[in-house]
Amino acid sequence: MKNVIFDNVSKIYRTKYYEVVALKDINLEIERGEFIAIMGPSGSGKSTMLNLIGCLDKPTEGEIYIKGTPISGLRDNELTELRRDTIGFVFQQYNLIPTLSAVENIELPMIFKKVEPDKRRERIEKLLEIIGLEDVADRKPVEMSGGQQQRVAIARAMANNPEILLCDEPTGNLDSKAGEQIMEILTKLKEEGVTVVLVTHDESLKKYAERVVRLRDGRIVDVFPFSS
Amino acid sequence: MYFHLALRNLSRARIRSILAVIGIIIGVTAITSIGIFGDNLKRTVIENLGDIANELIIIPNASAGYTKIDEKVVETIKRSPFPGEVIPLKAGVYEIGSKETKMRVTVYGLDEKGVSTLFTVEKGSLSLKSGRCIVGSKIASRLDLRVGSRVTINGKIYRVSGILKDEGRRFDIRVNNAFIIPIKEHPANITNVIVKLRNIDDIEGFKDYIKKTVNVKREKVDIIEMKSILERIDKVFDQINMFLMAIAGISLLVAGVSILNIMLMSTIERTKEIGIMRAIGAQKPDILKIFLTEAGILGVSGSVVGAVLSIVGGYFITKLIIGQVSGIFSTASVLFAVEGFAFGVGTAIISGLYPAWRASNLEPIEALRYE
Repeated sequence: MKNVIFDNVSKIYRTKYYEVVALKDINLEIERGEFIAIMGPSGSGKSTMLNLIGCLDKPTEGEIYIKGTPISGLRDNELTELRRDTIGFVFQQYNLIPTLSAVENIELPMIFKKVEPDKRRERIEKLLEIIGLEDVADRKPVEMSGGQQQRVAIARAMANNPEILLCDEPTGNLDSKAGEQIMEILTKLKEEGVTVVLVTHDESLKKYAERVVRLRDGRIVDVFPFSS
Repeated sequence: MYFHLALRNLSRARIRSILAVIGIIIGVTAITSIGIFGDNLKRTVIENLGDIANELIIIPNASAGYTKIDEKVVETIKRSPFPGEVIPLKAGVYEIGSKETKMRVTVYGLDEKGVSTLFTVEKGSLSLKSGRCIVGSKIASRLDLRVGSRVTINGKIYRVSGILKDEGRRFDIRVNNAFIIPIKEHPANITNVIVKLRNIDDIEGFKDYIKKTVNVKREKVDIIEMKSILERIDKVFDQINMFLMAIAGISLLVAGVSILNIMLMSTIERTKEIGIMRAIGAQKPDILKIFLTEAGILGVSGSVVGAVLSIVGGYFITKLIIGQVSGIFSTASVLFAVEGFAFGVGTAIISGLYPAWRASNLEPIEALRYE
């Protein structure tokens, strides 16, 4: 089953004075449970692609299907709902809410989804186990290391059991050991059936991916290995 | 959870939040304590006038051509089934003379019972036997009259039996500059009948009685109710109070603007956080709720303190200006406190609306990019 389909997608940012073609005629299908890396130099359109899959943005041309749903016709609340239930975000800057503890950060997406408190607690315990951070559960982000923050961020991204996990340079701010831990967690999640989309320009990470998509100037220049 | 989140967001900028709360406290305290003070002022005045609330003044219906009240009508009034005093009154302007001075003043005719019901004496007695008169305080000092002095009123000689206390309370008889002589010796017709009912609830019944007995065929008399005059005074005081509170309300408005200001700053500072929350599944109304909860917390905490302070403040202002405090924990005071509280919370929420709306309408992708 395809989780994400790019059907001839272009994204053009227009301002009064100039226009920027961020993506041009992208066709791509991402299978459920696939670990895919999107690579390319900065300005190649990686982040735009991630934002489009993440329903934070809509294509200028073409259509994107998330679990079969075309997103360009969706309203803000429908996009938000899709994002909340289907997609998890992991950012380079971790982006935890600074006023909330680790547990509360993990709980937040479930609160937005109006999950019962009992079920929330159950899920949090399971997630803490996956990321291996039971001991920092009550700490605020500033009291955690970067690696710990990123692991909490992954737990938060997985809170509502999304099928797709979007990771934007998740190891970019971490030392290699912490980065490795993050990649191991992502691999584990992939094995459990989560589609992992990793955006990075770190060549050392491509070994984790089953497929590498290379972007340059908004176009796909290479897919390795080619899917049938 | 939203509450916790809001509370923690507020404590992040603690001083700013405290200042906003202080603004609300000042605003709520100002309007509420002024409201309480005004209410106390009104009650003091009404209490002073309260002893005439049960009075009715019956006057001839001038528009139908009546200029006097017949003895027969007075008798009918006296026969009313409602307990109370019936005081016929004559009034006219006559020449009076004392020593070398001659002048024209108002002279009232009353019976002894009427005088003792309506007035209190400063010096002498309220005796109104034939040939005696009672003098108002101002004219007494002007003409240098004392108890026992002799004056000519309308050509007849009278001896002063008493001088009245300075009276400021009555609307119908301005007695400070007047003379009172026995009603039988007064040459004019009966112009007023003052009815002082024992029971204030009998007013409507008494009016009905007059309608059925005196004003049967023609409207011979009109009735002026002191009660309705008092109600007018009451209303005027309420209006003045409202005006004062509105002025005090400006301080609440300023507090509202300061909340608007800090909340706007807060939305800008937290743009990225809003973006994150939107990315992980917060709907627009969720963001709106978080920000409105923050405004609500500021409003509620400020208003509670303000309402409590204003009961104390109202007490002191009242004590300072009026000198006496009648029931600071009265229903009215508490009502003003509740009102002040509601206004405080309302102001905070309204001020929070725009920032909250702005925060919730940020484009998630733009907000995420914000550094």
